[in-house]
Amino acid sequence: MADRYLIEPDVNFINEIAGLGGEDLKKCFQCATCSVACPISPDNKPFPRKEMIAASWGLKDKLVGNGDIWLCHNCGDCSTLCPRGAKPGDVLAAIRQYAITDYAAPKALGKMVNDPKKLPVLLAIPTVLFIVVGLLLKLLGVNWLNFAPGGDEIVHSHFFSSWLVDLMMIPASFWAVAVFGLGLKRFLADIHANALAEGKTDKESIEPVGFVQALIRIIPTILKHDKFNECSENKDRSTAHMMVFFGFIGLFIVTSIFFIVLYVFQIHGPYSQMNPVKWLANIAGVSLVIGSSLMIKNRLAKKDDQVSTYQDWFLIGLALALGLSGMLAEMTRLGGLAGISYFLYFVHLVFVWSLFIYVPFTKLAHIVYRTTAMAYSEYGNRK
Amino acid sequence: MDKKYGVYICTGCGIGDALDIKELCGIPEEEGLPVATHPCLCGKEGLALLKKDIAEKGTNTLVIGACSRRVNFDVFKFDGCIVDRVNLREQVVWSHPRSEFPALTEEQKDDEEHFDRLQMLAEDYVKMGMARVEKVDLPEPSKLDTFSRGILVIGGGMTGMAAALDAAKAGYEVTIVEKEPALGGNANNWRRQLPVQDPYEELIDPIVADTIKAVESAKNITIKTETVVARIAGQPGEFTVTLKKPGEKIEFDVPYPLPDEMKVDENGKELDVDQQVERYKEYNEGRVDILALDPDGELFGAVILAAGWRPYEPKGDEFAHLGFGISPDVVTNAQFEKLAAAGKIVRPSDGRQAKSVVFIQSPDKNDDDNDFSYTGSVTSLVALKQAKYVREDYEDGKAYVFYQHMRTPGLQENFYKSLQQDRGIFLSKGEVMNVSANGDSLIVEADHTLLGEKVKVKADMVVLATGMVPATADDPVINLAYRQGPAFRDIDLFDGYSDSNFICFPYETQRTGIYAAGCVRRSMTLEESMEDAAGAALKAIQCIESSNRGVSVHPRSGDMTFPDFFFQRCTQCKRCTEECPFGALDDDEKGTPKPNPTRCRRCGTCMGACPERIIGFADYNIDSIGSMVKSIGVPSEDDYDEPPMRILGLVCENDAYPALDMAGLHRLSFSADVRFIPVRCLGSVNVIWIKDALAQGMDGVFLLGCKHGDDYQCHFVKGSELAEIRMQKIGDALSSLALEEERVAQFDIAIDDYDKLPKIINDFAELIEDLGPNPFKGF
Repeated sequence: MADRYLIEPDVNFINEIAGLGGEDLKKCFQCATCSVACPISPDNKPFPRKEMIAASWGLKDKLVGNGDIWLCHNCGDCSTLCPRGAKPGDVLAAIRQYAITDYAAPKALGKMVNDPKKLPVLLAIPTVLFIVVGLLLKLLGVNWLNFAPGGDEIVHSHFFSSWLVDLMMIPASFWAVAVFGLGLKRFLADIHANALAEGKTDKESIEPVGFVQALIRIIPTILKHDKFNECSENKDRSTAHMMVFFGFIGLFIVTSIFFIVLYVFQIHGPYSQMNPVKWLANIAGVSLVIGSSLMIKNRLAKKDDQVSTYQDWFLIGLALALGLSGMLAEMTRLGGLAGISYFLYFVHLVFVWSLFIYVPFTKLAHIVYRTTAMAYSEYGNRK
Repeated sequence: MDKKYGVYICTGCGIGDALDIKELCGIPEEEGLPVATHPCLCGKEGLALLKKDIAEKGTNTLVIGACSRRVNFDVFKFDGCIVDRVNLREQVVWSHPRSEFPALTEEQKDDEEHFDRLQMLAEDYVKMGMARVEKVDLPEPSKLDTFSRGILVIGGGMTGMAAALDAAKAGYEVTIVEKEPALGGNANNWRRQLPVQDPYEELIDPIVADTIKAVESAKNITIKTETVVARIAGQPGEFTVTLKKPGEKIEFDVPYPLPDEMKVDENGKELDVDQQVERYKEYNEGRVDILALDPDGELFGAVILAAGWRPYEPKGDEFAHLGFGISPDVVTNAQFEKLAAAGKIVRPSDGRQAKSVVFIQSPDKNDDDNDFSYTGSVTSLVALKQAKYVREDYEDGKAYVFYQHMRTPGLQENFYKSLQQDRGIFLSKGEVMNVSANGDSLIVEADHTLLGEKVKVKADMVVLATGMVPATADDPVINLAYRQGPAFRDIDLFDGYSDSNFICFPYETQRTGIYAAGCVRRSMTLEESMEDAAGAALKAIQCIESSNRGVSVHPRSGDMTFPDFFFQRCTQCKRCTEECPFGALDDDEKGTPKPNPTRCRRCGTCMGACPERIIGFADYNIDSIGSMVKSIGVPSEDDYDEPPMRILGLVCENDAYPALDMAGLHRLSFSADVRFIPVRCLGSVNVIWIKDALAQGMDGVFLLGCKHGDDYQCHFVKGSELAEIRMQKIGDALSSLALEEERVAQFDIAIDDYDKLPKIINDFAELIEDLGPNPFKGF
């Protein structure tokens, strides 16, 4: 006989989940309508019924390292059908947010990212950092920051040198990878342990090759948004999410290509609008802007049914700001509005840097955790 | 009264289309009775016709062949007239369509082979109606000589006080007797109480103090504390009540009936009447007989029993697996309430703060999921209330409730919802397996929880949701000076709760004039008890206002008849006294019954019991039903080559008769060879009717009534059960006459089972068909 599970409710955990958008969690009376309604919940140990009782009993250890919370795509069918208005979809979203901050280090930064009052500080850090580094380099005779770029053509790198940009961005991206890496290591171990304890897997250990194969198998599902499309309640969200998703992927590809073009082929921008890569860049940028705007519109329209927390707005806002600042910087450049264009470029850089540094603490981290959890679920034959 | 007869046949509602009305009118005409027909007797013109005859011809005894007596009863009601309603519509034409029961052709009419079953049915019913009205009289109410409109409330707790206030508000003089020195009862011991009004979300301060004040300042309420009832003698409207101090011994303490083991001698032989009387007197030494009235007794019209409850006390190691009796920190909910009322909740063992408390709703013993005994929704709600105490006392307090059933009826659901929102209260269904000590705290182990596995919780204290034992489980309380005994009958059947029929008649007990309210009926919240009190107060008032006019209270409300005894022929067999479900009869030393008309519910069980057939009602007696039976035409081989069978159905008018009407209403057809006679209760069926039926050649008899047993549906509690016993006895008599026992049967039917009736009736008819005709036919 397995050892009895000692229940030690953590009321602070309940309070935190409530604060993250799960304030109705205690209304649950365990009818399991949610688990029945959920189109993507597995048959064996379906969610979110068991997550709801664990949450209302404050059992943090059963939730934070639980892969199931990531299988949920927050489509909202459960929340709509819940007879008590306990909003299981929002509760799981809150638990996910809690898990993101729990797995990301340093905790102090996590706290800042999740605190609306600290937003100005978060944006001030890159702003100040960029200028201070640029000025310091100037003192050393390296003129990578030029406040008066001249010339007939507006070239952003004349103002803020590509070298300086990459000096800032490359460490920032390494940072993101490192923070995620550390979090993921712990995360994967936790969800495996949880799956073993709850009988949700048929694998004793995680074997890397099999896991990577599982990861490859689920990529089409993610790209096609198959899980998202099984929802009925928030189907419209799928389109917006896909636009943002592919916007980011497109921009990632474009950045990578231009990175190689710059450093391998030594060709500096700006690049011609006739260049197919540039087409991709523009399409991706527009997609990001429209997608994130749609998200805002959807969220505002669904005020009653779905909770929108600061974390939600933070991420959507960041995506929109990235897209808008990028697109506008380009448009003003083409339009010849030098002052505004240089300023917008700077703003754009601030947002890009923020994305790298803060992403492990934001909701966007779901790209990593959900993918991992889905791959694990595929690997562990969650049925 | 001089009877002037009139027979009226309505031809509306399909009656005229299906029947040969001319032939039908021939029946009364043959007897020289005036007959009239009308296409719509209940309409303006039809009624004018009836009223004209009553006014001008002096008709006062009417046989109306039309619809069921259960409809238009107010239309065909004429002051000073005897009315019989012959049910030609529901039980003749609607339930026997011509497509199945064809009319005769001209050639068939005079042969000895064919007969019209439907026409025969209608003609028999008209004859039966005519026979009945000949034998019945207009009832006159039986009035009491002395009469009190006072109401006695036993118990000064919240229920009793609420009942007293309600009755007093309605203008009745009320006396409350309370055995404790102060009013308030159990409600005095609470810290907080469940909400009693919208929005039903928060605990409130106990309302008991205000209620006591209201009772004390009410003009027409007399309060007698430290007082109990020694005996209640007499009958509703004139109960003579002797009160005394608790523990006192007085001569008007109620005597107890002789237990069965004392009614026999050393050899197990039953003692004769005189010896039994002797023993009874010895057994009740120092107490005067029930028939002696206390000259100093107070007179009351009706009694409300609100004696309340006491907390259940677990026996020995009954809940040892839950640590009760082993750890002082495992307590009952009543003990916990006392702790909470005294101040912040601390552990009885060491006085440490109890910050983690587990509430257990079910003992989970014997592999069942029953809650503790004598519980219900109230213990669920009390657990929630007490969980809140833990949260009120300690900011970091935690309360766990493990339940098999969480019952929060009505708007108390709001209270449940609001409690559920408390982040320090944890609720789960679960089976509590064990409570054990772990250092200086307790470990509660539970299986099958909503958390999906075997769990354990550390607790400072554990609270068991034990129940509320009704006062009537320990003591009769009412101490009735009734021959059947001082307590309610069948109290074992209801776990000590006083009840008559839980679902149909909540406040009725098995004693007319005594109305139970509050926790003597079942475990209740204070709010439910107060509502219950209002119901009982209204019943008490109804009783007074009915007894006052000499009419029945319940369930035959307003019935003016009462059982009349022809004492000259009484053999003092005591059957009526013993079998009356309501203890309405008290016999004297010789065994002669003393009727108490206002205790009586007019079911006629005594009439069914009496072997001498000396008991009857003005409009319902041995002769009236017997004559109806005798008026049924029984065709023999002299009439037809293959005469139809004749079956008598004696049907209870409470469920079975309306079910028959409903079958007709739904056009369900059944055998046309059965003749139904409604009876007040199967308990009133005297076997002589069955013997008469068989003696005149009828082929079978069946009784159709209510279910009996633990979940009985009989309006008179015992009627159908007694009928069954009597039918078993008649079986022996039948076999001695070489008649098959199967010719007499009894069936259960509930009012909503009307669709099952055709099968019951047809199956019995088929059985009789198979047995063949009654050999006495034609004698």
